[in-house]
Amino acid sequence: MARVPIEDGYFTVPDDPADAPRLLGSRCTACGEHFFPRRHVCARCLAEGCENVLLGPRGRLWTWTYVHVPLFAKKDARVDAYGVGQVDLPEGPRVQAILLGGPDDFRIGIDMELDLETLRTDDDGREVVIFRFRPVDGTEP
Amino acid sequence: MRLAGTAVAGSGIVRFGDHRPRSTAELARDAGLAALHDAGMTLADVDEAFVGYIQPGSLLGVRAMKELGLTGLPVTHVENASATGLVAFREAAWAVASGRARVAMALAFDKMTEMAGGGGRSRGTGRDQLDATILPAAYFALWAQRRMHDRGTKPEHFAAVAAKNWNHGAHCPWSDRQTDHVVTVEEVLASRLVSEPLTAMMACPADDGAACVIVAAEDLVRGRQPGRRLVRPVASVLRSETYSPGHTFLGPVVGPASMTRDTAAAAYEAAGLGPEDVDLALCHDAFANEELEYYELLGFCAEGDGERLVETGATALGGSIPFNTDGGLIARGHPGGPTGLAMVHEIVHQLRGAAGDRQVEGARTALAHLVGGGSVCTVSLFEGVGS
Repeated sequence: MARVPIEDGYFTVPDDPADAPRLLGSRCTACGEHFFPRRHVCARCLAEGCENVLLGPRGRLWTWTYVHVPLFAKKDARVDAYGVGQVDLPEGPRVQAILLGGPDDFRIGIDMELDLETLRTDDDGREVVIFRFRPVDGTEP
Repeated sequence: MRLAGTAVAGSGIVRFGDHRPRSTAELARDAGLAALHDAGMTLADVDEAFVGYIQPGSLLGVRAMKELGLTGLPVTHVENASATGLVAFREAAWAVASGRARVAMALAFDKMTEMAGGGGRSRGTGRDQLDATILPAAYFALWAQRRMHDRGTKPEHFAAVAAKNWNHGAHCPWSDRQTDHVVTVEEVLASRLVSEPLTAMMACPADDGAACVIVAAEDLVRGRQPGRRLVRPVASVLRSETYSPGHTFLGPVVGPASMTRDTAAAAYEAAGLGPEDVDLALCHDAFANEELEYYELLGFCAEGDGERLVETGATALGGSIPFNTDGGLIARGHPGGPTGLAMVHEIVHQLRGAAGDRQVEGARTALAHLVGGGSVCTVSLFEGVGS
């Protein structure tokens, strides 16, 4: 089934679901700093014209929490609770995202991997997907 | 730059709580009138107004001001998320300090009971959809989890901060939450887990309210209020984030810790004061773990000593540096816009020596701190001067 991102410009959606998605980031051509999401002006040296790069798909969990009161998620009627975390990518950016897994699956310092979750099917029958991070199987902090 | 030649002429508040049947304009009017009465003024005395709120809707401020009168005064809207009220105050103080106005009003109101999800934002479109389902508590919980990892902080420390503020609120007439018993660490820990490790009693309520502060030229206040202790703002600083590696750009975030440290340092320098001069402080305790961080970032103890400060009771009423004497966001409430002006209202009472049984003995210098999503940080310093 065809998949489309919930919003263009933030992550790739590989044709083969077995391939890992990547984040759409930027690299400053003057100082080399990396950013997510994409930006034009470098936040470090203020040079203009960052270039597009692909980031991820792996990173390390900087911090996490598990939300037991899904006030907003209730509107989607999908989940009762969910993980949230910040993942440090090897290129530098720290990315905040929803985590896949239960509260016992997360520990600061473990390796995380980018994944896509299907939110719904649109009117054209395509799966609408969003990026998440999930623990890489078998890693220890 | 030091704020010079200004003083608080008056302040007023509509007790934070559930005001569902009443309009925001009505709440704003009552807070505005309370401040005008406290100052011994009418709107005819006010040269300029800065009005803040964070709920949806445009031009609500200029409309609310009409409830107080139509005098032609300039009205400017101010919005900086949770920091809105204290930023409106900053604009009013500097309007007077610059000489542009002799009297300036900062007014703010909000009704969180009318906002989706109790203080949350609507789902929005585009970029906002990427994390529209994340509860605000989660951002602060991320900070708490990292502190527990780095410093060995226990949930009991966060609970101790929350219990302290619940108990402070019981002594403040305009506090939303008024307990009939002493809140304990155990009670806070036993309340519902919201977002690891934060429980419901470690979080601020989603309430409604309004508050107003009038700033005027010091000579004008002295002339009109002989014999009353003078409350002078001496610094009011606003900063946004400074880039550092690992910055999180996507999603509502609370901002790097350095933002509060830098803002406080700028305020101390402007006022020619240091944390050792401050007798009481009010800070952004939307979630209890924040207050622990701000003990350090505002300079009241060394990095890593925050836990000890709460363990020893130093930040409770009667301690060496009482924090959130009115109950803070956790008990007094946090309707959004008016929160910062409620802080000034409490500081005015403390520095006038009019804070009743929560009075900090001999209080002469006070600090108010707020962060706002996006993110920004604002810190104001006040001095009380004898009658």
